[in-house]
Amino acid sequence: MRWCIIKYRLYLTLFFFGAVPLSAAVPPEYGKPLSEEEEAATRQARFERNTDRYMEFWNGLIPRYGKVQFAGGMGLFSLGIGWDYGRSSQWETDLFLGYLPKFSGDKASLTFTLKQNYIPWDCTLGGRWHLEPLTTGLYINKLTSRNFWGREPEKYGSSYYRFSTNTRASIFLGQRLTYLLHEGYPRRSLTFFYEFSTCDLYLITCMTNRAIDLTDILVLSFGVKFQFL
Amino acid sequence: MKKLFVRLTGICGILLGALGCNLLESHPYEVNVNYRDLNRQAMDRIESECSRKSTIRYVWMGDTHRWYDETEDFVKHVNARQDIDFVLHGGDVTDFGLGREYEWIHKTMRKLHVPYVALIGNHDILGNGLDVYEKMYGDLNFSFIAGTVKFVCVNTNALEFDYSYAVPDFGFLTREREEDPGRPFEQTVVAMHANPYGEQFNNNVAPVFQGHLRRLKNLRFCMHAHAHKLMVTDFFEDGITYYGCAAMKDRNYLVFTITPEEYSYEVVYY
Repeated sequence: MRWCIIKYRLYLTLFFFGAVPLSAAVPPEYGKPLSEEEEAATRQARFERNTDRYMEFWNGLIPRYGKVQFAGGMGLFSLGIGWDYGRSSQWETDLFLGYLPKFSGDKASLTFTLKQNYIPWDCTLGGRWHLEPLTTGLYINKLTSRNFWGREPEKYGSSYYRFSTNTRASIFLGQRLTYLLHEGYPRRSLTFFYEFSTCDLYLITCMTNRAIDLTDILVLSFGVKFQFL
Repeated sequence: MKKLFVRLTGICGILLGALGCNLLESHPYEVNVNYRDLNRQAMDRIESECSRKSTIRYVWMGDTHRWYDETEDFVKHVNARQDIDFVLHGGDVTDFGLGREYEWIHKTMRKLHVPYVALIGNHDILGNGLDVYEKMYGDLNFSFIAGTVKFVCVNTNALEFDYSYAVPDFGFLTREREEDPGRPFEQTVVAMHANPYGEQFNNNVAPVFQGHLRRLKNLRFCMHAHAHKLMVTDFFEDGITYYGCAAMKDRNYLVFTITPEEYSYEVVYY
């Protein structure tokens, strides 16, 4: 009886020790403790996956093109970066920093613009030339100057003027002409564009008056886009 | 390729054309107007055209703001009558103080057969509006003589200047008391945009302001705009009446007739 007990215990010990290398060969199941190497491998895989995701996110934020735009109610000239997306890159979102030279007696100032473009069609003209017959969208421009306000200063009390002097929203219609710098890859190109825009204050004046025509409220601007990604 | 060149040339042509007609705009508040010193030109015309008149008849209106259609009708209505010597615009020429707004209003107002003079209103100062006004119309405080009447036009939009500038300018009002033998006049009328005891006016000095006005030679009455309603008020209860005109949206204006002995006014609807 006593021997039996010792043998039983021996078998049990052997079973457990033998089971360890076996269990290493099968995938770890939930709740079972992992070996150090396994844990390290898992951690590395997770790290790589997370890093990839992280890099992918920040890579997506790398601007895919630069733009220079002249006039258009957003500064004498504005330098911008932007991103294109959509099935045929028909959407573009730009961020501009504009320069406004000093008006008489005032200081030169900077403007910020957020611009959303929609370019529905792309026609090949032959060779490396492409025509985008319609571009449209809107932009919001903010002027940084002490003399201009977003919300009415306190001195006016409440709802005196009911509009902001430093923030303007504009809508535009235009056309673009693109020249591909390479045949095929890399996909670099130069785009020349012009657009007619009008801002919120002009639009409301035109809409409420027969005396103010569309031609009175139009603003022309033009620019160049350099696609580098 | 040939087509392309034609297209490019076309675009360049449009751009050059745009440069000529203000289409290329760096900001709605840019100070870029095609007219200069309009008040000076109008006042010169008034002074020479009215120099031999003993009775003068003029229109007092204001607050054109964004009522361009109404202003067009106003111009047509005034042009239809022959008895008006000039038009005095009481300010708020524009609604947002934009350069283009100033030009739009002038394109309408210049159709008047008689000269018009414009005062500055609080809306005209917004953004860079003050710079546009000074370029296009001239000084904020000014005076001219029509027949025997001196019109003293004074900027009273103190709130827009944060009470830190001479608004109203007592130095100017003091100088207006002086008489130039070369430019005689018998009586004075004062015009302003914001009325005393309104929210734009520097009410702390309202009685002082009135004291200055009373020292002007033979002050007959005062005129203001800004309130957007017809008003006849003796603000200081001293016998000097302030006449307020309605805004253009109300489709009426005031016609004043001043003779050496008396004056009268009527409200004209159009």
